[in-house]
Amino acid sequence: MTLLTIDKQNWTKGLTAAADQYQLFGPVKDKDQHQFKALTKGQVPDLDLVNTRLSPKDLIFPQSETIIEYSLDESQADHHIMKEAAKDYSPRAVVGIRPCDAKAVQLVKLNFDAPDVKDPYWLQAYEATTFIGMACDAPLSTCFCTSAGCGPYNAEGLDILMMDQGENYLAKVLTDKGQAFADAAGWNQATPEAADAFMAAKDAAEAKIVSTISTDNLVDTDLLELHGASFWDDVAFACLNCGTCTFSCPTCWCFDLQDEVHGKSGVRMKNWDSCMFPIFTVHTTGHNPRETKTQRVRQRFMHKLKYFVDKYQTGIMCVGCGRCVRQCPVNIDIRRVCALMNSFKPADACAAQG
Amino acid sequence: MFTNLMEYMGIERDRIHMSWVSSAEATKFIDVVTQVTEAVRKLGPNTHFVKQQAKVA
Amino acid sequence: MSEYTEKMRQIAGRLLKDCTVEMVIGFRKGTMPMMNEPCFVTAPEDADSLVWDSNCGINLANYLTNRKEKIAVFAKGCDSRNIVNHIVENKIQRDQLHIIGVPCTGMIDKRKIHGMVDGEILEVTETEETVKVRTADAETLLDKKEVLQNNCALCIHRNPVISDEMLADPVEEQTDIDRYADVRKIEEMGDEEKWQLFEDLLAPCIRCYACRNACPLCYCPTCFVDESKPQWVGKGQDPIDIRTFHFLRAYHCAGRCTDCGACQRACPVGIDMRLLTRKLEKDCQEQFGWEAGLSLDSRPALDVYQTNDPEAFIK
Repeated sequence: MTLLTIDKQNWTKGLTAAADQYQLFGPVKDKDQHQFKALTKGQVPDLDLVNTRLSPKDLIFPQSETIIEYSLDESQADHHIMKEAAKDYSPRAVVGIRPCDAKAVQLVKLNFDAPDVKDPYWLQAYEATTFIGMACDAPLSTCFCTSAGCGPYNAEGLDILMMDQGENYLAKVLTDKGQAFADAAGWNQATPEAADAFMAAKDAAEAKIVSTISTDNLVDTDLLELHGASFWDDVAFACLNCGTCTFSCPTCWCFDLQDEVHGKSGVRMKNWDSCMFPIFTVHTTGHNPRETKTQRVRQRFMHKLKYFVDKYQTGIMCVGCGRCVRQCPVNIDIRRVCALMNSFKPADACAAQG
Repeated sequence: MFTNLMEYMGIERDRIHMSWVSSAEATKFIDVVTQVTEAVRKLGPNTHFVKQQAKVA
Repeated sequence: MSEYTEKMRQIAGRLLKDCTVEMVIGFRKGTMPMMNEPCFVTAPEDADSLVWDSNCGINLANYLTNRKEKIAVFAKGCDSRNIVNHIVENKIQRDQLHIIGVPCTGMIDKRKIHGMVDGEILEVTETEETVKVRTADAETLLDKKEVLQNNCALCIHRNPVISDEMLADPVEEQTDIDRYADVRKIEEMGDEEKWQLFEDLLAPCIRCYACRNACPLCYCPTCFVDESKPQWVGKGQDPIDIRTFHFLRAYHCAGRCTDCGACQRACPVGIDMRLLTRKLEKDCQEQFGWEAGLSLDSRPALDVYQTNDPEAFIK
């Protein structure tokens, strides 16, 4: 693991050089908010932000993606044959991703790169991507990453972790992929003596986190008891069942397959789906096991804070980025719900299911 | 109101026409079809709201 | 505003104690600056969780449809007109409701305020006329009139049109309000310019449907965008599908929309879809002399046929 110093004078030059080998993505300001977008050659990411409004998950998991196409036009050589839509998985690099979003990618990977089933679209995009993270020195009051298994200087999921030292960046190269990027950018000024400065900045940043959640009881609380708790109606009342929380969340991974046919050609598309949507669980029979809003809202929080915890035993399915908290139109706050769930004590072992 | 909304969004006024024609009003039908065809032809091919395949990733 | 909060708590407590209603729908304090959370109260001792301030822009009429209980609800001018609409459209019975009318001088727009200060907003407090915004580095005092939601700045029905009791004395209605200046400006543009304007306006849309779900009028068991047999609108991010969703939703609300602004407020990416709904509102007024939700006795303009309905557009 090497610690490099990148003079800010060389930042643009380095990125431009790397752009010869990688398609670069980074935060770009769009009116009043930042979003991760493809950078043109020579364009630098705008790092004057805490985080983007929507997560960068759409870089490896696009919101709408064509996966299969076909044509019935007999003048075409491959007519009547369903084929995979052409994709470009040439190397790409995300510059300026925050540690919370990078860890979220690893959580999503547990689902899309499982021993028995793998999502080829997500995996190919993931494997083509190098993650160059930017540590957080000024977290928001809604950031609760340190109690969500992450932190402003967390290295999980990153190939390079950078920090801003004013005149220059310090870059910790963590993986071979990260080294390859550093070589392509021509960043090679090793400064191992800066390790202490890195640690100090990490401690300072972590001390700035003011929001925390408690998750210590979630593992041991009985799942069915939690499911039958009486507070779900109150939690769910305000919910609009829109997709804002799921779409802005970097750990949400659900998708829907839709076929669209236009005359003689057609495609199968993969679109983001949301467990908040009423038809999310509708069966072909018409039966909907989660017909009510309360059932859907309960499911979302149970998934994030209980089912995932039990299944993967690696903590909660949340990295504390705070996007859902900031953007929920009716201010449903996962931190409040987590507190309700974590402090829940079953009244009676034989309590009836809610 | 619908044609107003379409025009407001940038669809040329002359692209959408509305008419009540009964199957007994053959002459009127011919007139309307001719009028509409001429009016729309004058505008040239339409480029808006044309979706051949979803423009997505 | 704090007197409103006090009165609400008293009224809610009273209504629950003497069993006039089974639940009271209102707001409780949010966890974020400028946010409150819609909530329901069923026990008189919980009435103290209710609050009211200039961050109560979500339309509570949205939570009434298809409910079976006897409900008390706090309704601003716009909300009350939506309640009228709900009763006319049979989504709730009049005798189920105990409407507490809330004369309103406008809700503040958190996006506008974010745009006026630098850095993360930590706390926002208000008086009758001012809004104080505190960030880590500064405190900014703003004139409430400058930071009202767009729909509130243009509001001509601040006082509830239907109620079982009123929270306070009526406030003065705004006069000389031109509700459609921006709509007319768009009407005057060239076709390509108009097309591009809406292309740019709707580009950030992520099809989260917060606008649709915040809207009290959007209560269809299966929305047209969720249908798949037949699929009226694509479900992906194709720009034509996004545009179709927005204009068609606006069209479904034509003659029913009260411009409560909940759609724009709920949108996570700040799209002003009211440019579409207000064009339809303007047309309804000009062509049918109709304003939504003012009387329990009349059906919306697009629901009824009258012999003097405009016909000039039909050959």
